[in-house]
Amino acid sequence: MTRLSHFLGLAALAAVTSAQAAELPAEIKQAGTLKLTVNSTYAPMEYRDPATNELVGLDVDLANELAKRLGGLKIVWSETPFAELIPSLQTKRADFIISGISDRASRRETADFVDYLATGPQFFVMADNAAKDATDLCGKKVGTTRSTSFPVEIEKWSKQNCEAAGKPAIQYVPGENSIDVRNQLKQGRIDAAVQGSETLPYAQSQEPGKYRIVGEAFAKGYQGIMFRKDDVALREVVTEKLAAMISDGAYKAVLDKWGLGANAVEKPMLNAAPQ
Amino acid sequence: MTKPLVAIRSVSKSFGEFQALKAVSLDVWPGEVMCLIGASGSGKTTLLRCINQLAMIDSGGIWLDGELLGVREQGGKLHRLSEREIGRQRLKTGMVFQRFNLFPHKTALENITEGPTQVQGRKLDEVRSEALELLRRVGLAAKADSYPAQLSGGQQQRVAIARALAMKPMLMLFDEPTSALDPELVGEVLAVMKELAKSGMTMMVVTHELGFAREVADRVVYMDQGAIVEQGRASDVLGTPREERTKAFLSAVI
Amino acid sequence: MRPAPALAEGFPDLSGMRIAREPHWFRWISAALIVVVLAAIVRAFANGQIEWSYVSRFLTVKVILEGIVNTMVMAVLAMMLGIVLGIVVAIMRLSPNPVLKTVAAGYTWLFRGTPLILQLLLWFNLALVFPTIGIPGLWSARAVDVMTPFLAALLGLGINQGAYTSEVMRAGMLSVDIGQYEAAQAIGMGRLRALRRIVLPQAMRVVIPPLGNEFIGMVKATSLASVIQYPELLHNAENIYYANSRVIELLIVAGLWYLLVVSILTPLQMLLERRFARGTLRLAR
Repeated sequence: MTRLSHFLGLAALAAVTSAQAAELPAEIKQAGTLKLTVNSTYAPMEYRDPATNELVGLDVDLANELAKRLGGLKIVWSETPFAELIPSLQTKRADFIISGISDRASRRETADFVDYLATGPQFFVMADNAAKDATDLCGKKVGTTRSTSFPVEIEKWSKQNCEAAGKPAIQYVPGENSIDVRNQLKQGRIDAAVQGSETLPYAQSQEPGKYRIVGEAFAKGYQGIMFRKDDVALREVVTEKLAAMISDGAYKAVLDKWGLGANAVEKPMLNAAPQ
Repeated sequence: MTKPLVAIRSVSKSFGEFQALKAVSLDVWPGEVMCLIGASGSGKTTLLRCINQLAMIDSGGIWLDGELLGVREQGGKLHRLSEREIGRQRLKTGMVFQRFNLFPHKTALENITEGPTQVQGRKLDEVRSEALELLRRVGLAAKADSYPAQLSGGQQQRVAIARALAMKPMLMLFDEPTSALDPELVGEVLAVMKELAKSGMTMMVVTHELGFAREVADRVVYMDQGAIVEQGRASDVLGTPREERTKAFLSAVI
Repeated sequence: MRPAPALAEGFPDLSGMRIAREPHWFRWISAALIVVVLAAIVRAFANGQIEWSYVSRFLTVKVILEGIVNTMVMAVLAMMLGIVLGIVVAIMRLSPNPVLKTVAAGYTWLFRGTPLILQLLLWFNLALVFPTIGIPGLWSARAVDVMTPFLAALLGLGINQGAYTSEVMRAGMLSVDIGQYEAAQAIGMGRLRALRRIVLPQAMRVVIPPLGNEFIGMVKATSLASVIQYPELLHNAENIYYANSRVIELLIVAGLWYLLVVSILTPLQMLLERRFARGTLRLAR
């Protein structure tokens, strides 16, 4: 072998090994803090406890555990409306986003997702509503938070399952946030609502017996931790720590605490959502 | 014996602590021109405003054309009349104010036709020709379409007189009609008032113009501190006053 | 004719001299500085991370134009409601009847004392309190069917506006000389007719500038109705950026349209003021 190929070979080896031992970016290590921003109106993922006004949730617990394993980093939390999450990441107001945000192809233009929770939009109605199957909702008024990806999902589902079967399309009614949507459901302005399947067990525990889930979560997908496309090092080190949390059971413990054990994933995936 | 057009009996009126009228009694006869003179605060303006109910009396009674003003007697008590009935009673009098109070957003003609068309429900065509005649009578036919801001003080006051006359009142009340005018404009207004007096209109004029009083008034009433001090023929009250206070007032004014 | 007295010595005749123009150095320097600062700001925006192509692309898109129409429709209707309520409440406030006075004062207190956005949310969610509304025996309906985003926005904005307008109208009516009111009464007019024919028309002149201002504020206040799903300009711009994440670009689109509307309304308000001043112009005599 020539000297050059020796050199290339060693360089390649060095690159591979350094990639395997992922390192925290220098600025974060130096600062000792992690800047995270959440849309805190999304129980049980992230919300303010009404009794103590403390920021709590599944994402908060996962983030705290990750921060510990990343070398005892302190998290500096901030809050923002859902539509501002992506801009917050782009402007570096946040180091990464773990805020109940779905991994979607349309969002992968500017970000990469480390998928950590199975999810999917789900229909639900008031307990006394007659609807039994999801197709009973064809032609009815269905509401969801307008700043999410759910309006598009509802339209797609309606085309495939209502209009294709000769039934009238679902009428989409916008809402400002998940609380507003549930209010409209209670008042009868909408016949059914759509929320991420991860939020429904909590809503039901808060108001037992009021709501009833209809059908399965349609359009299965994942919630992902969002990273800037060029932030490969940070993404890889977080993925590593998350994988460790899954294998030693810390991940499952957090999910069970919030009643979402059924939404667990086997391992963290990169940009794995089908949409 | 004919009845007085205005009968004022023991009328008192206070504004808070201040007693403006103290049990004043007075008769005004049809066709009479009465001038009320006195210092400010003597009650003369208040008396006028009680007759057309811009001020409500506290006690006593005022009858206009035999009708009790502002109240109705029932079961030994006096009950206030409704706003509508008071408005109807006001139609019998016309008032000319010191500061003219013409409606600035209406022309001279419109000022005059406003009352008859809006309050009396008369047709505009009919009223307009009458209004033009009134304007001619006060010497302002050419100013029919002028706005008050375009008229001099004397012209405005003459339009105000025409406006009051348009309602065909039986009594004209003048509250210091020339006090706010520049001296050279006083004469034109007094001339209109003289012509009105000659035509037989019953007039009560609160004024400082003693020359006018001497010339035109059938009776002069001198008031001080809410009461009538002296009254009588102009030549008597103004020329040979009997009361000390009257004398003092006149010597201060002349 | 007696000759005028001789003038004292020592005061020359300056009538031949002209007054020199002042150079106003400070004005030139400050103007130049402001131009420099503005140019720097414009340059910063031009070089900033804004994709101006998105701004031009969405500036006249159908959804945005519909939003503007809805904004203007709501602003006009809510303002009309606010003016009608304002006049009624102001008259009640100036009434001799203590019951009317108290009701008027209470209305003003309640609707000026709570934030507009809160009022909008309450109207929109009225069905949580009253699931059905109606007149007993005559008609009833589900509150949600009646309280559409349009109606909730109209009621919220209009009734709120009425509380502010009533104060403006009251000030306007009080500004009319009391002699006007007395002259109207002297020719036999009742209180309400005197208000309608004589006092209010004159109050208009005083009331137009603040009302014009309120209307311009109303155009922008309609953006609050976005949270109750009324499809006005901001709501529609938000829907676009919820889909394509172009937050700043779409906010600029909305902002430009609001600016345009206000820039057209301002000179219109001045024309209106001039019309109501008819009859009160002071002509040179």
